[in-house]
Amino acid sequence: MPFPLSSALRGAVLLAAPLFCAFPALAQTEYPLHLSNCGVDLTFDAAPVRTVTVGQAATEILYALDLGDRVLGTSVWFSAVLPQFETVNAGVPRLADNDPSFESVVALRPDLVAVQYEWHIGPQGSVGTRDQFADLGIPTYTLPSDCEGKDNSVGSDGTRLAPYSIESLYQGIDELARIFDVPERGAALLDDLRAREEAAIDAARALDLGDASAVFWFSSAEMDIDPYVAGQGGAPAYMMEALGLRNIIDSNEEWPVVGWETIARANPTVIVLARMDRRRFEADDVERKLDFLRTDPVASQMDAVRHNRIVVLDAHGMDPSIRNIDALETLSAALAGLDLQ
Amino acid sequence: MKIEARDLGWRNIVRGVSCEIRPGETFGLIGPNGSGKSTLLKLLAGLMPRAAGEVRLDDVPLGQLTRRQVAQRIAMVEQFADTGEALSVRDAVELGRTPWLSPLSPFGPEDTRIVDEALAAVDMTGMTKRPWSTLSGGERQRIHIARALAQQPRALILDEPTNHLDIHHQLALLGLVAALPVTVVMALHDLNQAMMCDRLGVMSEGRMVACGAPSDVLTPDTLGRIFRVRAMPMTDPEDGSTLFRFLPMEEPR
Amino acid sequence: MTRRAALVALTLPVLPRVGLGAVLLALAVLAGVIVGETALPLRLVGDVLAVKLWGAERALDPIDAGILWSYRLPRTLVAAACGAGLALSGVVLQALVRNALADPYLLGVSAGAGAGAVSVALLGIGGGAIGLSAGAFGGATAAFVLVALLARAAGGGPAQLVLAGIAGSQLFNALTSFLIAKSANAEQARGLMFWLLGNLSGVRWPDVTMALPVVGAGFLVCLAHVRPLDAFSFGSGAAAALGIAVRRVQLVLIAAVTLMTATLVSLVGSIGFVGLVIPHAVRLLVGPRHARLVPASALAGAIFLIAADIASRVLIPGQVVPIGVVTALVGAPGFALILIRNRRRA
Ligand SMILES: Nc1ncnc2c1ncn2[C@@H]1O[C@H](COP(=O)(O)OP(=O)(O)O)[C@@H](O)[C@H]1O
Ligand SMILES: [Mg+2]
Repeated sequence: MPFPLSSALRGAVLLAAPLFCAFPALAQTEYPLHLSNCGVDLTFDAAPVRTVTVGQAATEILYALDLGDRVLGTSVWFSAVLPQFETVNAGVPRLADNDPSFESVVALRPDLVAVQYEWHIGPQGSVGTRDQFADLGIPTYTLPSDCEGKDNSVGSDGTRLAPYSIESLYQGIDELARIFDVPERGAALLDDLRAREEAAIDAARALDLGDASAVFWFSSAEMDIDPYVAGQGGAPAYMMEALGLRNIIDSNEEWPVVGWETIARANPTVIVLARMDRRRFEADDVERKLDFLRTDPVASQMDAVRHNRIVVLDAHGMDPSIRNIDALETLSAALAGLDLQ
Repeated sequence: MKIEARDLGWRNIVRGVSCEIRPGETFGLIGPNGSGKSTLLKLLAGLMPRAAGEVRLDDVPLGQLTRRQVAQRIAMVEQFADTGEALSVRDAVELGRTPWLSPLSPFGPEDTRIVDEALAAVDMTGMTKRPWSTLSGGERQRIHIARALAQQPRALILDEPTNHLDIHHQLALLGLVAALPVTVVMALHDLNQAMMCDRLGVMSEGRMVACGAPSDVLTPDTLGRIFRVRAMPMTDPEDGSTLFRFLPMEEPR
Repeated sequence: MTRRAALVALTLPVLPRVGLGAVLLALAVLAGVIVGETALPLRLVGDVLAVKLWGAERALDPIDAGILWSYRLPRTLVAAACGAGLALSGVVLQALVRNALADPYLLGVSAGAGAGAVSVALLGIGGGAIGLSAGAFGGATAAFVLVALLARAAGGGPAQLVLAGIAGSQLFNALTSFLIAKSANAEQARGLMFWLLGNLSGVRWPDVTMALPVVGAGFLVCLAHVRPLDAFSFGSGAAAALGIAVRRVQLVLIAAVTLMTATLVSLVGSIGFVGLVIPHAVRLLVGPRHARLVPASALAGAIFLIAADIASRVLIPGQVVPIGVVTALVGAPGFALILIRNRRRA
């Protein structure tokens, strides 16, 4: 199976590799591998060959590590798979679009379940607890981005104790690469992501954004109702911080509900809209969000709307995932195109 | 008002009752528990759905009248009527004016007078502010009667109106209704009280098995058959009226 | 002549009370308009009203003026309509089914609305074109029709209606739980719950033109039936004996209540406790007679919900607490107090 990343990436890997010798495991993984993952101690005697993924971010990290041939089934999809993984994904059965049942996962006799969110598999997991899988001898690996600095026993989506750090994503990539005994692929992927992150940040910093501010609008349960916007806790906050935009939302939650009144008063410089395939709320549709901004008597008065400083980003890029870097690049490039003076 | 029942029935509970209650008459309905007295009273007031037969009020079929028109003619005091509302005595009696009120003729001074009279008639003038929940069973019964009086009906239908009343108020009530110029139909349990009615109807298993003057209807034979008691008629030495003393039936050994 | 005199005699003493009610309501609306997530100056109210209603020329900050005119005023008016409508529904149902615990959601309307909204959101009914509101209205109506048919099949008395309502509510709540368990993730469930608990943040002028006429009509229907409602005090049999066309009155009033509740639930979610507590509280103040209870409950409900909405906006700065949480926080202890007071009186 061909390496799915571009040749440019491979070039970058070759150039950057010597700089990151400090990375712990460029050599072969030594088994048994001991690992502490989200409060659970894991031991692997060999690289897994039968993996089930619960969560698109986990699935796409495995694809990015060229491990598609070791994935037996996927579940919890938020949007279409990234284009570069379409071929590999087409060969992998999808257990469920949303939550798979415990038994459908177990039935595949996996030797690893890779999990994006603890609310699927975790202390109160809707699919099951990690203990339930462990009892059957099935190890579960949860992406650190959902547990590092996060308390999932509080609030329905968990509560971030510390703002999301992109490093927790990188940690997940590194650990998965070690678990699967492909440390060199992990290093290559990380080098690529870090290089792209840095480039996007440099480009935005060069714009001299001053006191520019932003709001990320994810969706709303009803069209006119108080929207879900990015708080200080999640990936959008990291992006804004990294690119030098002030988040007008103070809340420490990841996706708090904040009134349009407050948003309009704060009058952000830029509005970022989430684009998604999901159609559960009317406001899931980015066109409907744009309609609202243009027609609502108050929202339409915001500077960002009047000067059309609106950026559309992939919604899944706003959740902790390798798409964060895509989103960061898109946003950075879009900022360059806006008249921000 | 004349009330005429023609072949009146409801399911199997009341069957083929025909009788004519004359204007101004006090008509008593007697019969053992479950014989259909309450049901027949409700049928006469037009309060049972899907009734068989016909009721005529002064020769007008009841079915041709609206509920409001019926309520302007007939007031009914049911056997068990209670409320959880914190109504006052006066509130409860004022309800009797309902069939006469409309947005164009709201509650006025004339209605107040009628309500006052009704309260006085049942000896409750001093208690108009008392909440319903604080009233005794007998007081409640008297308020129900007052409400029916406030309705100014041409016929009064009472289901066991002397229940809960002390002996003084029992006699006062019977005296009151007997003196009213309106037609009165009432179910009674006390057979001695039934003797005070102008005429009696005897219910048994849904049928009216006898109808006529108390002395014709209340014979030891009827009482034995219908009520399963041995009745000994006695004569009051003071006014010569007949009284009954009741004894258990002698069980055949 | 006597009729006219009687009418005058009836209306004259009522006028000051109607006036007092109007003033109280206006003050509550004013408070609802100026207090909120962000403070607006009182002067702005006059300016905005002058511009919007009389076309005066004033220099206004477009965002502040927009917040006041397009967000706060419709929101406050709908809160008032909603409080009045729920309180009226409570009064009517408590009278008709003669049950102190009756509330507007008794007949399954709120459970149906929830199931309808969740179906739209999670089953993709309508493919995103139908909002939660339309789903909620459809669900509420469906639930009510089902409950009404069930109650009829069971004999049609008030007890049957209550039992059918409980059965219908359970059924539709189970459906909601099933749908959420089957297909929602935590974020969606949270969104739906937030909405179901009641939310006035999405209210705009078109909602006012739905809520005010429906509640206004419902109010008039209730006002026209104050005597029949009184007559139900001793049960439907006694009401019939007092000349009330029981079936027709029940039908008209329950239809009015259902229409009001379904409309309000579909606009703002199911805000609890207003319909249960306000009628009881108002009974303590003005007594059980519906000629006073109906207008007083409507007024009290309107003012209470405006106050609850203000509280929901200022309780946590920068964030809105669901209004249903506020009404429950105030309503549950309030209800307990009423129970205790009633026991002392009895
Ligand atoms: N709505 C009803 N449905 C079925 N049976 C009834 C109903 N009302 C009364 N009954 C029955 O009809 C019989 C006569 O009842 P009722 O008229 O109350 O008798 P009474 O007043 O003479 O004691 C009783 O056996 C009673 O159980
Ligand atoms: Mg009886």
